[in-house]
Order: sequence, then structure tokens, then C-alpha cells
Amino acid sequence: MNTPEDSLDCGHSLAELSTYLDTGEIADPAHLHSCPECQAGLASLRRLSQLGSELLTSDLADAGSGHDDWMQSILDNLRLELRPGRSIPLQAGNPKDTLWETEGSISALIRSVADALPGTAAGKCRLHGDVTTPGAGITVDVEIAVVYGHPLDERAEELRRELAQTLAFQTELNIETINITVRDVLEPPSAADQVPSPPTSPAPTTREDQP
Amino acid sequence: MTEHLEPGSIQSAGASPAVAEELLGVIQGVEGVSAVYPAQPLWQSIAGAAMAAVTGEILPLVSVTGDGDALAVKARIGVGTLRPAPSVAREVAGAVRTHLLPRDAAVEVYVVKVGP
Repeated sequence: MNTPEDSLDCGHSLAELSTYLDTGEIADPAHLHSCPECQAGLASLRRLSQLGSELLTSDLADAGSGHDDWMQSILDNLRLELRPGRSIPLQAGNPKDTLWETEGSISALIRSVADALPGTAAGKCRLHGDVTTPGAGITVDVEIAVVYGHPLDERAEELRRELAQTLAFQTELNIETINITVRDVLEPPSAADQVPSPPTSPAPTTREDQP
Repeated sequence: MTEHLEPGSIQSAGASPAVAEELLGVIQGVEGVSAVYPAQPLWQSIAGAAMAAVTGEILPLVSVTGDGDALAVKARIGVGTLRPAPSVAREVAGAVRTHLLPRDAAVEVYVVKVGP
């Protein structure tokens, strides 16, 4: 049974969605067609799966399970960000109309932009500031993990530029700052770090956290 | 249950499935709309969920309430990436309003998904 913390607002959990991706089985498949949060969750899990495949085909295949914590962190953030969140007002063409974007839809959009970059996965994606007040200054915080071998500075700058363009196009938010933090770099152990080990023992994993 | 109503005869959400169905087509016809989601998710409506479970009836995706002179319409939509979501939301509201003329309406549109 899922705890409330594990479940999305619709009652489904990421574990159920993951099982659905693996087996095609879920209690109410029709629900997936009518739930944007589940659809965003499935899209994120598919992208994570693709990145996992990239890791498994790299030198990290023998490096143990050092990225498990990183993967768990991403899943923890997904649980939070797949919820609808706050309602972000949009300008209406008629004073009797009220138009909104959900915070969850924008978080998912930010995540999809980050995940679309090669060798990159979004961790935490947050909108800081009063998004419910038109024109209020908003700060976007995005944490990413990058597979070893991809240029970090270029990747962060490219992501910042693409997010600025995308958010200007798809929202009416007053974005003042976009902070990109490379939270994890998954790299294979260097030759100097390697300690001779019995043939049956896996090589150690080197995992760096950058502020 | 299918019930055809003449304009002006709308009494409540439960009595206006034909109008809701019309508006669904109007909203889906707006360029940039990729999906229309239930305006009132079932898990937020115990009564609606219970009724649907018993009758097997599919609730309208677009919520229409009010009387014949003043309607309240609520829709939750997904928007693709080729057009700005705020513009699409405004066009959806405008299309709904135009379709309901000469009746007055207050239209609420939620963009709940942006992307493919």
C-alpha cells in the first residue's frame, strides 16, 4: 500500500508507474489517458530509463551502485513536482475569464528541457517567488546530474539559455534568475584511484558533488 | 445517457452534456491544444466517482454549470510546444465564449501540461 507521501494527487505512485512501464500492467489503464500528472511522471521515468541505459553502457557498468543515491534523489523530487502545485495566473482576454498554468506543468516543462540535453538528467526543479502574483520576480533553481565526459560549463550555460527561451515563450512569469547547479557527476575511477582488488570484487565508484 | 438541449435550456452541469460535448470539440479545435483533461478529476469528486462507478457513465471532460443566461465553463488542457501556452489558453476561452453566444459565460482554463 502506498503512503500519501509516495502517491501523486490521483493516488498512483511512481512505483506503480514504473511497473506499468516495465510490464504494461496497471489497475486502471484508462486513467493514464486522463491524468496529466501521471503522463508527466511516465515521461520522466522513460527519460531516466534512457539515461540509465547510457550509464550501463559506459565504464560505470562495473562501478557498483554509486548512482543509486542520485537516482533516488531524482525520484524524491519527482514525487513533489508531479503534483499540480500553485496556480499561476495568465492574462485573460475577457475580464470574466480566468486563465491559469499549474506549477506542476511548468516544473515538468523545465525537467523535460534539462533531460533533453545529452547525458543530463534534472534533479530538483523549483520556482521560488510568488508565482501567484503577476509580475513578481521569480528565481528558477535547477539541479542536474551529468554523465562523465560531457562538458559541465557548456552544459549549464546551454541549459540556462534554453530555459530562458522556453519559459519566456510558454509562461508569463517574470524570470529574474536561473540557477543551474551540477549536483552530481558520475565518473569512472581513475587509474591512480584504483586499488587492486580480487577478481570477484567490483571496482569502487567515484562520485563528486559540486555545490 | 444522451440528451439534446436547445440553446437557453441549460439548467445545470448534469443537464448539459450536449453543450459540454460541443465545447469539447471547440476546445480540441484550437490550434496548440494537445489534450483535454477532466475539468473535475474524479478523485476530487467523491459523488462523481461513485456515480460513475455505479452507472458506468463517463462524465463530461468540460464542466458547464449555470442557467441559460449565464454559464460557467471550466476546462483543463494540455498544450504542445509549438505555440505559447498563454496564447492558446486565451484562444480557448475566446472560442468557448464565441460558441456560446448570445449567452454570457465565465470561462476558466487551466493549462495542466505543456509539452508533447
